[in-house]
Amino acid sequence: MTTETAQALNVFKTKRWYQDQLLLAGVIIVGTAIFLSVFGYMIAPFDPGTPVGPISQPPSREFWFGTDASGLDVFSRVITAPRIDVTLSVSAALLSGAIGTLIGLGTGFYEGRFSSLVMRISDVLQAFPIFILAMVLVALTGRNLVNLIFALTFLYTPIFVRLTRTEVLTQKTRTYVEAARATGNSEWKIALKHVLPNSLTPSLIQLSVTVGFGILLTAGLSFIGAGVRPPTPEWGLMIATSAPRLILGEWWSSLFPGIAVSLTVFGFASLGNALERRVGNQ
Amino acid sequence: MASYIFRRILIGFLQAAGITLVVFFVIRARPADPVARLVGFNSTPDVYNQAKASLGLDRTTAEQLGDFVGTDGSGVITGDLGTSWVTGSSVTSEIITTLPITLQLVVLSFVVAMAIAVPIGVATAKRPGGKLDKSVFGYGLFAGAQPEFWWALMFTFFFYFKLGIAPAPLGVLDPLMIPPEKVTGFILIDSLLTGRIDAFFNALWHLWLPIMTLAFILSGPIIKMTRQSMARVLSSEFILYSRASGISRKQIARSTLRASLPPVLTLTGILFGFMLGGAVLIEQVFSLNGLGSYSVRAVLNLDYPAIQGTVLVITIISLLVYLILDLILVFTDPRVKAQ
Repeated sequence: MTTETAQALNVFKTKRWYQDQLLLAGVIIVGTAIFLSVFGYMIAPFDPGTPVGPISQPPSREFWFGTDASGLDVFSRVITAPRIDVTLSVSAALLSGAIGTLIGLGTGFYEGRFSSLVMRISDVLQAFPIFILAMVLVALTGRNLVNLIFALTFLYTPIFVRLTRTEVLTQKTRTYVEAARATGNSEWKIALKHVLPNSLTPSLIQLSVTVGFGILLTAGLSFIGAGVRPPTPEWGLMIATSAPRLILGEWWSSLFPGIAVSLTVFGFASLGNALERRVGNQ
Repeated sequence: MASYIFRRILIGFLQAAGITLVVFFVIRARPADPVARLVGFNSTPDVYNQAKASLGLDRTTAEQLGDFVGTDGSGVITGDLGTSWVTGSSVTSEIITTLPITLQLVVLSFVVAMAIAVPIGVATAKRPGGKLDKSVFGYGLFAGAQPEFWWALMFTFFFYFKLGIAPAPLGVLDPLMIPPEKVTGFILIDSLLTGRIDAFFNALWHLWLPIMTLAFILSGPIIKMTRQSMARVLSSEFILYSRASGISRKQIARSTLRASLPPVLTLTGILFGFMLGGAVLIEQVFSLNGLGSYSVRAVLNLDYPAIQGTVLVITIISLLVYLILDLILVFTDPRVKAQ
């Protein structure tokens, strides 16, 4: 492990990291979201997919967040939804992070015609409003989880390409690269073992932010009917199906899933931001 | 200078062509079956093939591309984006009617967001680390990434259903209001041009909630960027030098603001492109029949000509905005002027 990446991870070893409110909030929210995506189904009081009681019940002692228009328990659905929202966004972020970092390393390390072609392509992708492209990709490939992950991965890869490439371009002029070359390391070994680990920091920070945006995009797509299918417990879909009930005064079935999205996205954003600030300070 | 503009336009042109080609091929390479969507899955093979032929899908992809671009004299190069498969009318004219609604919403939201965010950003940069700075920082981080469609719903519930100080989210005007005569397509401008003051205020009445929702989301990143940029300029040497030379505070403030605007403008450009897509969800919630809603219908109906058309138009607009902002930056940069 080399200096800068180690610094990013050392954030948690520094004394009293938990006194940074933003970092603490991020860690708690992200931790809860990941916990629920694994154990949500186990601790949910009711099955999120089958009607459990009278329809459109306001929150009560039995149904904490009330029931929706089909008699599904809103609380159980809110805490099982991370299985879709969080898992999907984390997978897409990790995939696009891995692919983007490798492409960024390649294009940064070997500059040339091919490298500038790749950069132009990622420019083109970034010039386009992401939401529309996501909608086109998902609606046409078929609305299932794998396609959603692929679409998000495709859309988020260019960010990581750019971040890594910029870092690689500065790293490869450093003396340690020259030293590695002088001691007879092969080029690809220098790229993978020396330059790559030193160029990871911006991408690692970006990962957290990307997960947040992935959750927003997933929820948004489901909201307009281009995401997962009902009755899958998913925050955006829950908000969409409950939206018409709002004018009947049924606020609980859209309020709680919305708060869940809002908080989760904020959590990932704060974690990313706090890490960025801490690495910058060191 | 001229060569710079020319190069930028050329690159933008290539980018637009690139995106359009990608979308053209991606939607055709996909397993989705638009013919079956139109004629139903139980139609006889005859009907199916007829429909397929009438949509032009029986021909090779290369032929379809030629048709779309306009090798036969009418296509993208002549401004003709084809005929919608669902409505049967021209995609170009449908985009011309829907685009002003989206542009009006997005532009006004930006104006409101900038008017709120820039002064706040400036105020916090003056006292970094203060209480105001901390809470504004939290707000910027929070508002920057939020589910706008959910906030739109909650605002509607609260301001319309609970308080009654906003209209029902049912379009750009009251359902019974006769829309003003069409001149530019922008309803606020048209109602003023045709002297329909009632329609003007009615349109504003219907716009305030969607604008507030978008401005709430947009102000987050703008505040953050203004603050960062201001703080950087304030601690720079040329401000120190200005202070040392005894230049008035007012003048220093003016040059600080001026020097810190470029990153804010660049961000605005990126956000603008982002918002053209992001407005989709807001339009859905408030039943505004803009380009966003049009693109959702196009995608969900697998209406290829409409998808291609909206993608092309949105890309061109975001690229134009980037170009204009870059030109503003270049022209206002004293270093460029000096050359």
